[in-house]
Amino acid sequence: MIMKNVGCMAFLKEITSIVLFFLLSGRLLCAAETDSIDFAHQIVPILQRHCAECHGGEEAEGGFSINNRRLFLEGEAAVPGNAYESLFIELIQDPDPEYRMPSEEKPPVPEAEVALLKRWVDEGLPWEPGFTFGEPAYEQPLKPRLPELPPFVKGRSNPVDRFIDAYLTEGGYPDPRPLDDSTFLRRVSMDLVGLLPTVEETRTFLSDKSPDKRQRAIDSLLARDIDYTEHWLTFWNDLLRNDYDGTGFITGGRSQISIWLYGSLKENKPYDSMISELIAPPNDESSGFIDGIKWRGVVSTGQSLPIQFAQSVSQSFLGINLKCASCHDSFIDQWTLADSYNLAAVYSEEPLELTRCDKPTGVMAKAAWLFPEIGQVDPSAPKTERLEQLAALFTHPQNGRVTRTIVNRLWAQFMGRGIVHPLDAMGTEPWNTDLLDWLAYDFKKNGYDIKQTLRLITNSHAYQSQASSLNEGDNADYVYRGPVSKRLTAEQFVDAVWRVGNTAPAAMDAPIARDKVSDGLVEELSVPITWIWGASLDDGLPPHGERVIAYRTFSPAKSLSSATFVAAADLEYEVIFNGELIFSGRGWKDLKAGVITSRIRPQENCLLIGAENAGSRPNAAGIFCAIRLEYEDGSHEVIQTDEQWLTRSIPPDTADLTEYDLDSGDWDRARIANDTGWEKGTNERAGTILAKAYVGRDKPVRAALVKNNSLMRALGRPNRDQIVTSRPNELTTLEAVDLSTSFPLIDYLRSGAGRLLERHEKDPTSLIDDIYLTLMTRFPSKSEQRLLRGAIGRSPDSECVTDVLWALVMTPEFFILR
Amino acid sequence: MKFEIDSTAPESIVRRDFIKKLALASSAAWMSGVPRLVRGTGFETPAAKADACILLWMGGGMAAPETFDPKRYAPFEKGMAVDSVLSTFPAIDTVVDDIKICAGLESIARIMDRGTLIRSAVQPDLGSILHSRHQYHWHTGYVPPQTVACPHIGAWMARVLGPRNEVMPPFINIGQRLEGVGEKEELKAFTTAGFFGSEHGPMNLPFPEQAAQSVRPPEGMSGKRFVNRNKLFRKLVDRSPHREHASDYQQESLMRSMESAYRLLNSKEREAFDIEKEPKEIRQRYDTSRFGRGCLLARRLVENGARFVEVTTEYVPFLHWDTHAGGHDTVNRMHREIDRPIAQLVLDLEERGLLDRTLIIVASEFSRDAMIEGKPGSEANDQAAFKGDFIEEEKHYGLHRHFTGGTSVALFGGGVKKGFLYGKTADERPLVAVENPVTITDLHATIMTAMGISPKTEFSIEDRPFYVTEDGKGSPVREIFA
Repeated sequence: MIMKNVGCMAFLKEITSIVLFFLLSGRLLCAAETDSIDFAHQIVPILQRHCAECHGGEEAEGGFSINNRRLFLEGEAAVPGNAYESLFIELIQDPDPEYRMPSEEKPPVPEAEVALLKRWVDEGLPWEPGFTFGEPAYEQPLKPRLPELPPFVKGRSNPVDRFIDAYLTEGGYPDPRPLDDSTFLRRVSMDLVGLLPTVEETRTFLSDKSPDKRQRAIDSLLARDIDYTEHWLTFWNDLLRNDYDGTGFITGGRSQISIWLYGSLKENKPYDSMISELIAPPNDESSGFIDGIKWRGVVSTGQSLPIQFAQSVSQSFLGINLKCASCHDSFIDQWTLADSYNLAAVYSEEPLELTRCDKPTGVMAKAAWLFPEIGQVDPSAPKTERLEQLAALFTHPQNGRVTRTIVNRLWAQFMGRGIVHPLDAMGTEPWNTDLLDWLAYDFKKNGYDIKQTLRLITNSHAYQSQASSLNEGDNADYVYRGPVSKRLTAEQFVDAVWRVGNTAPAAMDAPIARDKVSDGLVEELSVPITWIWGASLDDGLPPHGERVIAYRTFSPAKSLSSATFVAAADLEYEVIFNGELIFSGRGWKDLKAGVITSRIRPQENCLLIGAENAGSRPNAAGIFCAIRLEYEDGSHEVIQTDEQWLTRSIPPDTADLTEYDLDSGDWDRARIANDTGWEKGTNERAGTILAKAYVGRDKPVRAALVKNNSLMRALGRPNRDQIVTSRPNELTTLEAVDLSTSFPLIDYLRSGAGRLLERHEKDPTSLIDDIYLTLMTRFPSKSEQRLLRGAIGRSPDSECVTDVLWALVMTPEFFILR
Repeated sequence: MKFEIDSTAPESIVRRDFIKKLALASSAAWMSGVPRLVRGTGFETPAAKADACILLWMGGGMAAPETFDPKRYAPFEKGMAVDSVLSTFPAIDTVVDDIKICAGLESIARIMDRGTLIRSAVQPDLGSILHSRHQYHWHTGYVPPQTVACPHIGAWMARVLGPRNEVMPPFINIGQRLEGVGEKEELKAFTTAGFFGSEHGPMNLPFPEQAAQSVRPPEGMSGKRFVNRNKLFRKLVDRSPHREHASDYQQESLMRSMESAYRLLNSKEREAFDIEKEPKEIRQRYDTSRFGRGCLLARRLVENGARFVEVTTEYVPFLHWDTHAGGHDTVNRMHREIDRPIAQLVLDLEERGLLDRTLIIVASEFSRDAMIEGKPGSEANDQAAFKGDFIEEEKHYGLHRHFTGGTSVALFGGGVKKGFLYGKTADERPLVAVENPVTITDLHATIMTAMGISPKTEFSIEDRPFYVTEDGKGSPVREIFA
């Protein structure tokens, strides 16, 4: 089962016209295994010569196919490990030509070959994984194609429907049932902006009688650029393996593209421009994608940066998996080791030697891309030019693969399954080639306008049909029957829960600004930074290891419109507002800002910052914070660290500052730390960072803007070490355990219960209506009303409303988008 | 099924029968992209010697010459040459004649007759030695980075063997915090079921003493309220218009998960998570540290049907076994942490009749040496903080470099030989394995074989085969099995 060199591959291909599937790691192929049967060289030629004509490829005479090992064994033609009991061995050596295989006039299998076959069976029928005698798989064309639109029926003129209707009619499949208004609104909101419709949106939409209300709803959702961006970030971060935290960052071996990505989505940047800027980055903001993850230490050549580059650009944009061909010629498709290395050489600064299964071959790669039909990279050009040339080939008007790949991904986001499935095997035959080609063509024609394609699909009857779920197994002979239901993503679930209780975090981890930050704004928000510390400053530099807390209380003077703040401390620090840990950071350079408008109480508020001095000798330490309170009358005030703050040195192992008792013991007035040597540049930076938070002050922070946490991880938000193109569709037992016991979840819901109760203090019926409109995008049925009225009683309390909210968010109706 | 050929039957009947069987063959259809089990070549399911596995993880690099493989002892002397330091602990006798281990492990010395000691485990160098990378390698069998997310060995057992007790999560991970510690992202990368999906992933219990809370109603919720909440949930599901999808695959799976979760949270097995339920006297025997309490928790979980439990001394950069400075003192402390609990765990399982079917593994990502980083001749970046030739201060006395040439692994129960020694390292530096080196791949093959999993077990992911041992190449060390 071993192939030693390319030559043997050519040999195999020549004699068999086979398609070989896969192989993960070359080492498997490359391992030497001298004593056992060599399937490729010893067995394949025999089977090819004597059996394949009738039992290979399309042929399966007598229902018996030798195309792969599974089929071979399903026929019970062989008992692995026991040639004596294997039927086909019996049949090929039957003395009676009448019974013998191969049948008819063909010569019998020579004795030596029979012996080999017996040995093969006795050794367990080893098979090259994925090897098949079948025909080559479907091959996707490179060039775009404009299929003719089928005539429209039932007044359904949307091109998507024209293809789908033709498909359903031809197959004699039933029309999927249309979606009712509330399910539509819920699904389209989740799909386009990742948020549940608000109660007001739902009420307005349900009572709207105009025929074009769905179209208008789609348009207005797509126009909510920030909401749209912060939902689609999840998809793109997965696809481009971008994150705020993760492997690689610790050693500086990885950089984010968050700012670039956020801006691109917000302005609906044409997809071809996005690709160009990712493949040939005009600046550092978008270079993280091709630069991959640089690991410290030795990595296998299959994961070197140039190879990562080849794998990433081909998987993300072409739906081509070069992982196999990074080690050896692929068995799943036509890609060779040379293809991968040549593509990698476009990126590589150094000459790149082809390495097969971690063994150098002596052959040097020559920068090239995969489809020379429409042009080629000039290997003699410098790297930046090569990348530009490659970008131009990816976005070439005659490159239909890039457009098919992205429209297929977008289709799958909405419809739960791709037109080509799996999404990263674009070589697979689509279930509707015309639909795919048309969508791809249309996408290019519209200037690679992503939102336009989203608009087109969501406006179709196909999209606006009831979804059902796919069973395991439905993929083999997939037939389109309508959209496939989807489980909420971690981000959708968490955002929904945060919105109910207004419990979104105060600060985001994404280094982005939701809107333009003008110089004027920065200037306006800039405050001189005053570093404070405790009484130990009286004796010079604070001792190392000292832990100090500083706090102050305040009440807003007037009716508040917003509260934003910026803080930093040296070294490890935590910022606690009204008993809630808002964020933590490390060092005086680590200025962070947040929005606390919804957390401000009309009466006393308390901001507390704890910091620990590090080092091995006394050194500079300090705490800084500035809170900007803006009032509805347009005035504002800034509260910032000064001598008025109270400080105290605390034991370094004090566990939980959120429960720190401020009322006991003595406090010192803060001392101003004048000689930290840090001031330079930080004043302006504080203004810039505060301004970034300030421009997003009207919208709660979204789940996609913060680092992964245990709740989201439990719900399937991945580590982004690898490119991820689909998320889990089920809920596991451990996730259910987490959600049943999770304290943060209950906490979020309790806040929600509090808010709902405030609004409907005396009216359980309207409370229950509100709960259903908030979570389920519909009114409760009579029986649901009755059930919940029984559950919450006449004077509902926070506990039982919390439980009602929990029970509802755990129902399949909430969790599964239909 | 065996196909019987009646040689006397006419050919037509043989053929007809053959064809009929072919027609019966189902073309199993699977979700592409979802890993599926493949029965590859040379596949043979070994008879399981153990049903449960407990991995006692010495995170941070446990120095073999300070624990299970004592070498020439050199007590601290001001100004001593670094190259004179092989072990900073003297050797002590164990109950097995030819096995000596380090002073500080007296309890373990008394139970060495219950297991096998491998002294010749080896690891690759990987250039720059990073704990998280080597731990990834040890826990998944694959060197990172990989093009797919690799499953943890606990996930392999959960996926291939399933739960031992339907109520009990099959893969439980005790003692490792994954938030608020250095290199947490790197730790998360292998503390996962990878491409198997989170159904087979770990239940993480970083604090053994708080484990009970993970299977209890949320804080402040009475048992009655918890039961009522679940009743309400069921009634709401029944009344939802979506009940018409009740038989739908996705909905059914969601309800099944909710049901299993509720069952666990109401089960008697739930008690297993609560180490307070243990008599005080027993608790004290384990109560050396979080690790010690974790061992007690592991015992309770395995008694109640857990399949795979890992208990770690916890990897936090520069803490515990990661002895970059103060090596001797730190190891002294680590001895106290691990010695009694490990011995007690073995004895308790034995007393309950569970030891024979429970494989206990004590392992670490690599060993340590006073002189050599990586292997002899390695180009690995020397990360030792102190690089002098003579030791003036006591804090420099210890094994502060990462050594990959010879590491000890102790195995107890689970069908391994009792009082058996396998492999050997040199008596003088370099302390490399000189007999029967065991790679991570072969060690995994050994562990998997003990658990009844073929080292060649493979799954197909992204249309490529992925094996439980690297590329299916692992071969078990058969000599250690009884």
